[in-house]
Amino acid sequence: MSSIDPAIIVKARGDLARRLGVDENEIADGHIEQTDFPDASLGAPVEGEMSAQMITSGWRIRLQTAGETYEYRATARQLRLVNFKGRNYRV
Amino acid sequence: MSRNLWLNLSIALALILIAAFAGRLHKWSWPRSSQQISHPSREREETATDPGSDESDSSKTEILVRFRPNVSRDAIERITSRLNDEVEDRIEAVDGLEVIEDEDNESADEVVAQYRALSEVEYAEANSEIKLDHEGAGKHMHANDELFFKQWALFNHGQDGGKSGADISAMQAWAVTRGSDQVVVAVLDSGVDYTHPDLAANIWTRPEIIKQYEDEDLTSEGAVDDVHGFNVVDDNGDPMDDNGHGTHCAGIIGAQGGNETGIAGINWTVKIMPLKFMDADGAGTTKDAIEAINYVINRKRAGVNVRVISASWGSTTNSRALEDLIRKAGQEGILFVAAAGNDHSDNDAKPHYPASYELNNVISVAATDRNDELTSFSNWGATSVDVAAPGQQIVSTWLNHGFEEKQGTSMATPFVAGVAALVLSTNPTISIDELRARLLNSVDAIPSLTGKVASGGRINAAKAVAAQ
Repeated sequence: MSSIDPAIIVKARGDLARRLGVDENEIADGHIEQTDFPDASLGAPVEGEMSAQMITSGWRIRLQTAGETYEYRATARQLRLVNFKGRNYRV
Repeated sequence: MSRNLWLNLSIALALILIAAFAGRLHKWSWPRSSQQISHPSREREETATDPGSDESDSSKTEILVRFRPNVSRDAIERITSRLNDEVEDRIEAVDGLEVIEDEDNESADEVVAQYRALSEVEYAEANSEIKLDHEGAGKHMHANDELFFKQWALFNHGQDGGKSGADISAMQAWAVTRGSDQVVVAVLDSGVDYTHPDLAANIWTRPEIIKQYEDEDLTSEGAVDDVHGFNVVDDNGDPMDDNGHGTHCAGIIGAQGGNETGIAGINWTVKIMPLKFMDADGAGTTKDAIEAINYVINRKRAGVNVRVISASWGSTTNSRALEDLIRKAGQEGILFVAAAGNDHSDNDAKPHYPASYELNNVISVAATDRNDELTSFSNWGATSVDVAAPGQQIVSTWLNHGFEEKQGTSMATPFVAGVAALVLSTNPTISIDELRARLLNSVDAIPSLTGKVASGGRINAAKAVAAQ
């Protein structure tokens, strides 16, 4: 699998900043790891969503701000925010 | 020379030519095994009952022998001749693998022992003991498709570290049936690349006598020109795949077999009805899944012989509406085969839908690997998951007319749907209850699946098509 496109991380930082109402500079890059997810929803289905049950390679991106860690999951085609205030989101 | 002499000579010459030509015809009609071996790319049926063949006694012992790489064809012929045996067939997909027929009434164990004792032999084993009740008895058929050697799920001879025999016994099943273009399987997925060279011949096309699909709630025009299926995402009649997942599942069920191209589907001939309700990311809504099932039911009522829905998707979301639609499909005579999920969890405790709906037309499918072990990712369920099927390192059709290897219960599901279609090809009037029972009662019992799936086994195509 190729390395992650930096634009995906930029997109995740922007999304998190918008949701939290903070400046992007306040968000620190955490850990980024390549991994296999259980399905096409990257193990993070949104409400009412059905997904292909095929092992899907992608990246787990952890961003940090104000002492909290937030998890995004990505492939080259999609980005998801995991368990943000109890819900998953397609970004 | 007199006129009569010329006449007599002409008649004699004509008789000689007729006799010679008749001999050639006989030779072409009943080729011996040595001639078959010289044509490795040709698809053949290994049969113990070829009409007119003197090598066709079904009571004879057959064993499988793999000779070491440095053993020549001539050497193999000498060995078999010395042991009073005959090369019945050559399995082209595996170098050195031969089907040996015993000619002196020895038991399979005796013949196997003779070959195992030879330094030229890598392994020898008795032919599988699947009992076929009717004309398929003693037969098998293999495919000449170029990637068939990678399709361990159809024929596992231990390649790439796998366990010999950990497959669905497709070759034995193909001696009974290779499918039918009268059986329609709906692939409810991300669509299907209906132009893929290894799929195009097996894609369903709406017959002219079947009216276009009409659903005023879905389209402004009120009708969809559903030539090859239905696209719920874009609300039109073009179910082209933009993810790849649906194309992969379709290939497992029905990539054209025996065409020297790509892979062999479980059904060499079938009709795949592509349905698109998941987008390019492989995700869709419950509502769109319902709309797609509604389409299938509509087409069934319109006269399309769609008997199986293959559903390689799911989530933990429980929808009563989705359950109702699947139940309705069952009442219409449609089997619904669904993926158990890839969370490595127990569906008895944490259900995964639609596989976990307790409906008599639903089969929930877990995934095994090339060693007949439950895969590390597969869900299980002693009561809620019905059966397992190969689901790891599965090569099949993909986008851009390619082929890729994928894993998941997504891949296991179409194996069961495909075997269901095989059964339907020879039993077109079988009820859903009977079909489901046949699939689940004909599994290979696998120790690793005891207590993991209700049937305790992995699907077996040969037993499924032969059981009466």
